[in-house]
Amino acid sequence: MEFAWNEAEEAYRAELREVIATLPGDWWDAYAPHGPSSPRLMEHARTFNARLAARDLIVRHWPREYGGQDASAWQQIIISEEMWSIGEPRSSLYLGANWAGPAIMKFGTAAQKQKWLRAIAGGELLWCQGFSEPEAGTDLSNMKTRAEPVEGGYLVNGSKIWTSYAARADVMFLLARVGGKGKGGVSCFLVPMDTHGIEVRPIPGVHSRWDFHEVFFTDAFLPADALLGEEAGGWTIVQTIIHYERIGAGRYEKARRGLDHVVGRLKERGVWDDPVVRADCAAALALVEAARLQTYLVIDGRAKDSDPGAETYLARFAMIQADHAVANLSSAYLPDLLVDGADGHLRSQFNSAITAGIAAGAAEVQLNMISGRHLGLPRGA
Amino acid sequence: MDFDFTPDQQALREAIVRIVDDNRDLPRSGGVVEPRACHPATAMEQAFMQGGYLDLALEPGCGAVEAAILVYEAALSPLVMELGGAALVAPLLTRKALPRPVALARVEDLPRGVRFLAGARTVLVDCGDEVAVLDMTGREVAALEDPFAYPLGRLTAAPDLTSAQRLPGKGGELRRLWRIALALEAAAAMEAAVRFTTDYVKQRQVFGRPVGSFQAVQHRLSADAVKCRGVYWLAMKAAWSGSPLDAALAALHAQRAVPEVTYDTHQFNGALGMTLEHALHCWTFRLRWLMGEMGGERTHAADAATLAWPDAA
Ligand SMILES: Cc1cc2nc3c(=O)[nH]c(=O)nc-3n(C[C@H](O)[C@H](O)[C@H](O)COP(=O)(O)OP(=O)(O)OC[C@H]3O[C@@H](n4cnc5c(N)ncnc54)[C@H](O)[C@@H]3O)c2cc1C
Repeated sequence: MEFAWNEAEEAYRAELREVIATLPGDWWDAYAPHGPSSPRLMEHARTFNARLAARDLIVRHWPREYGGQDASAWQQIIISEEMWSIGEPRSSLYLGANWAGPAIMKFGTAAQKQKWLRAIAGGELLWCQGFSEPEAGTDLSNMKTRAEPVEGGYLVNGSKIWTSYAARADVMFLLARVGGKGKGGVSCFLVPMDTHGIEVRPIPGVHSRWDFHEVFFTDAFLPADALLGEEAGGWTIVQTIIHYERIGAGRYEKARRGLDHVVGRLKERGVWDDPVVRADCAAALALVEAARLQTYLVIDGRAKDSDPGAETYLARFAMIQADHAVANLSSAYLPDLLVDGADGHLRSQFNSAITAGIAAGAAEVQLNMISGRHLGLPRGA
Repeated sequence: MDFDFTPDQQALREAIVRIVDDNRDLPRSGGVVEPRACHPATAMEQAFMQGGYLDLALEPGCGAVEAAILVYEAALSPLVMELGGAALVAPLLTRKALPRPVALARVEDLPRGVRFLAGARTVLVDCGDEVAVLDMTGREVAALEDPFAYPLGRLTAAPDLTSAQRLPGKGGELRRLWRIALALEAAAAMEAAVRFTTDYVKQRQVFGRPVGSFQAVQHRLSADAVKCRGVYWLAMKAAWSGSPLDAALAALHAQRAVPEVTYDTHQFNGALGMTLEHALHCWTFRLRWLMGEMGGERTHAADAATLAWPDAA
């Protein structure tokens, strides 16, 4: 048992921090508070990602043949911690690095690997994820968007919703139905967002004006090589992705830094001596550090190539609670600083925390998974 | 980082688990479990003594993590044995084996009630900055009865520490180690209560289906499981790191988790869970005591806050 970072991991973190140090001075005020899909942050991400790529920092955990350095899964969590904790300056590049890329490695053709993986490693692509639909959120396999096989490819019709990053992304990881109903008919496609027949409409949200979108497909033609894996074989890919998606972003680290920031503000206000305030902050810290360790347990499994187990869901639930605990401290003790423009750091943590129990799978779904897979309880009615 | 035990630690754990599992039956008379709040783990204790497990922390190549494995695994048993003091706190604090059982006490709790004081041969007393090592020979202790599932006791006379050996400046270290032991014991008792309850709700039928198939039950047990694992990992990390902050966080998280875990597990066992023949109370009524040990969560929270966010010098 060993709970410390090794030298290579420390060095990697230090390198990342050197690039982070190049972020604009008004990062917390002008970029981070409105989330990684806000226009300014996404635009800046293109420069920032090029800087990361220039130093080969983006996919260290990938195999060398795909532009990585064969580093362990720990390096992936290090970059996630460093980036997510400051508002994700890579924007949706992380989708490619965390799970779209690995899915292509596992299920893609040689040509698809050639086309996409180097581009991800080179920081060239901002992604979006076209999974949810109006009638298919938690119940994802109820999705209706269809991809009809036609000469040379597929014609896609239907719509996606809640799609983060869609307005400015380069490529979508799309789920569409080729076969019949249910999980069996789901297929995965890699879709350039400038494909004719795709229309994107924003949906302003409480956590960000620029995060949610609806994406409409009207006879959008996809060439045959847009299909990832087998036709109607997408559900296996989804299952693989989900573990990486749920435990990918270093939310606990953002919560930790947010909490440190909250304490700094409380000290400034002269309320830090209040034992109730101190106890609330300490309790939140315990939640955050427990979530961190439960996440690291999942990463440890990944680093050892063991099959993901129920730990993913335990960690995700712990992370949701930690994130909310810290956001609630802001609401309870510093609500005036959550007002737009007052404290970008607090607002950024607050905004991302309030989405934690819904994005990447509802908290209740994590509990369902824990019931079945960790406790072995019988399926509910 | 490596969350797996080393091969030696793994072998140690397996040996401990065998001893715990081979000696975990509640005592019965006339076919029914003896109606007692606290069941001492006499056979397990003997097996650990014969195997030399109590001095584990002093063996070359071993330390807090090995002692933590012992304390945690043994506390999964419904039967109770003093190990936190004797196998973890005392050897790591004093670098020697003290006469056991070793009770741990804040000075103000000696006349009120202390875990394992009835039968203790040594008490490590938290006197603030220093620790008093109290030899219990000749001291009168009143054993406390129900409801808690620990052998509790209190000194009948005002505590006289004049003859006790003093360990100046060791108070912080005592609290650090005690917090680790407390968190491990709480993590194990919560885990055991959740597992026991999970088994129960799988087989108990209501309205023609298992209690455990209702989502209201599933979600609460699942959230409890997250807490158990969280406390476990915080405690193991604290054992590994030696950091006072890690120890305070582990104890804090543990004591904060107890109310929900004890409430939920009792709820889901129904009236049977209220009986002394059903083993649930063996863990939950340890937890209800552990919840207030060392002064309860406020003391850990206060220390954790100071350690995590020290005031500028
Ligand atoms: C900030 C944010 C960003 C997102 N980004 C994307 C994206 O980029 N791409 C994308 O495809 N999707 C995205 N989503 C959508 C997200 O995946 C869905 O919101 C999520 O899967 C839940 O689906 P839903 O909102 O339709 O809720 P529903 O499925 O309608 O569920 C509503 C609520 O019911 C409860 N519930 C549902 N099922 C169960 C059950 N079986 N047991 C117990 N309780 C249950 C849960 O509390 C759940 O929150 C995003 C969501 C958020 C909040």
